[in-house]
Amino acid sequence: MAGLTLNAGSLAEALLARGPASYAPWLDRGPHLELIEQRALPELRSEAWRHTNISRWYQTVLNGNESVAQSRRIEFAGAVEVVDFEESRAAELLELRGDELYQLSAHPIAALNAMLLGAGVAIRVPARGGRLHPVRVVDLPASYQRILMIVESGAEAELIEEPSPFTHRLVELVVQSGARLLHRRLQAASPHRDCSLVAVRVEANANYELAQLSLGGDLRRNDIVATLSGESAHVTLRGAWRLDGTRHLDNQVAVHHDAPGGTSRQTYRGVAGGRSRAVLNGRIEIAPGAQRSDASLSTKNLLASDTAEVYAKPELEIYANDVKCSHGATVGAIDEDAVNYFRTRGIDGQTARSLFVRGFLREAIDDVETARRLGVIQ
Amino acid sequence: MSLLRVEDLHVEVDAKPILAGIDLEVRAGEVHAVMGPNGSGKSTLANVLAGRPGYDVTRGCVTVDGEDVTGLEPEERSLRGLFLAFQYPIEIPGVSNMEFLKAAVDAHALGRGEDPPSAVEFVKRARAAASRLALNPDFLKRGVNDGFSGGEKKRNEILQMLILEPRLAVLDETDSGLDIDALGVVADGINAFRDVGNAVILVTHYQRLLNYVVPDHVHVLANGRIVRSGDASLALELEERGYGWLDA
Repeated sequence: MAGLTLNAGSLAEALLARGPASYAPWLDRGPHLELIEQRALPELRSEAWRHTNISRWYQTVLNGNESVAQSRRIEFAGAVEVVDFEESRAAELLELRGDELYQLSAHPIAALNAMLLGAGVAIRVPARGGRLHPVRVVDLPASYQRILMIVESGAEAELIEEPSPFTHRLVELVVQSGARLLHRRLQAASPHRDCSLVAVRVEANANYELAQLSLGGDLRRNDIVATLSGESAHVTLRGAWRLDGTRHLDNQVAVHHDAPGGTSRQTYRGVAGGRSRAVLNGRIEIAPGAQRSDASLSTKNLLASDTAEVYAKPELEIYANDVKCSHGATVGAIDEDAVNYFRTRGIDGQTARSLFVRGFLREAIDDVETARRLGVIQ
Repeated sequence: MSLLRVEDLHVEVDAKPILAGIDLEVRAGEVHAVMGPNGSGKSTLANVLAGRPGYDVTRGCVTVDGEDVTGLEPEERSLRGLFLAFQYPIEIPGVSNMEFLKAAVDAHALGRGEDPPSAVEFVKRARAAASRLALNPDFLKRGVNDGFSGGEKKRNEILQMLILEPRLAVLDETDSGLDIDALGVVADGINAFRDVGNAVILVTHYQRLLNYVVPDHVHVLANGRIVRSGDASLALELEERGYGWLDA
């Protein structure tokens, strides 16, 4: 209804009246319930939600999301262990995860995930699993979903999140020492409103690589928290997006260097056209004692129309003295000199622009074929 | 029939007159050199022939093979056989030289009503052209002009010319910034391109390139007009005496 906004307080009332979900009853929902009871859900236009109207998402939380899948579809092979959160084994795997991978106070809407959880999967990639096939999460049959993946020491794994509707998805990842995880997130254009949180702990000499491709949604918010907890951990985050129409994409990324000798590389490239809005806040935090950390962040954005909006903000917080940090953010229009250069070679303006955009985005894309299939590039 | 005919061409940039009545005729098989001091309008002439935006033709016209191209878009001129080698080629990271060239070759094939060449056939052609210009085949995989040296950028322009086989190539100071070896390579490329069916306009400051690519006609541009035309010996005379004596 026009003019109606749902505030955090009335959503909390409604949730408390409804009570927690009955799915996976072994889950400790104490802190989450408490957060809601204390009315600590974010309010409209709070700092972390400056660019995304959270009350529109609350509206979806209250009304439900009818587009969710009817059944679970996960594809995997080999020695990977995959269990439903409903099973008691999932509790053991959660135990294996150890400490929380994110702070609930910093990501309060994760409380809604716990309260309303309806589908979840816990995945363990064993230390000596041999050659590993990718784990492909195609569909989970609920609006509130959780994926837990533990890649044990020395193992190599790939997690692929196929495009699938949800209202909130929590992805918890542990990459144990010397292990490697390639995480692909494929976010197709969506008429719906979704939020997700990826929280990953990267232990000593482990390697985590994120490749996120997004087309935006009616409202889409991605929070990503990567913690380099062990010495010489390595994190690579890549994000490429192309938005048109009134699509919305808000990426909030935080990389915490908590141990010495870690390296992190962040590369984001986005194109915003129509009346779309794209946000990338990238934060790098280097803890005291995380000496010899080496962190970089580059975000470049193209405005393909006069009415699109782009917000790009890198932030650094450094508490160690022997570190290397760099960041850069640019927002600009398509380079008409480049387009003209193409045209003088016989390539029409439209093809020239699309080649240019593709080239621009490709700096943040490692798998061109997938990006093309999803429609991020042509 | 002349391949290119420029008649009474007047051009303004930001309402400032740059070319003030150029007449030029180029026949197939000819090489013309356009020389002149800084600011005389040489690059404007090159750019306006290619249809670069920002140059307003206020009077006169340009015809190619008898067709008036004055109002045509850059890509339409390219498809009619006009080619401009840029003085400052643009860097386009992320788009490989190979895919850029393929897109151009495909556009030209479609423009002629032909099927685009197969990938294999195209790569063969591109490699042959690269090796003629002493360019490593890896060069084709790199982003267009991305991180290229000055000499590589100029050779890349010539590479495009060899692959697109235009009717008329306008080379805007392609010789500037080249060392003597690279100049030789570029000149070899231009000479290999020369044919009875096409023509070349060399826009240059210096006589140097003209030792390698001998022009049939030399024109001197000053204040937006051609003030003197002659044969190759005119370039030598300019080298010796500078441009000052022409004003007299």
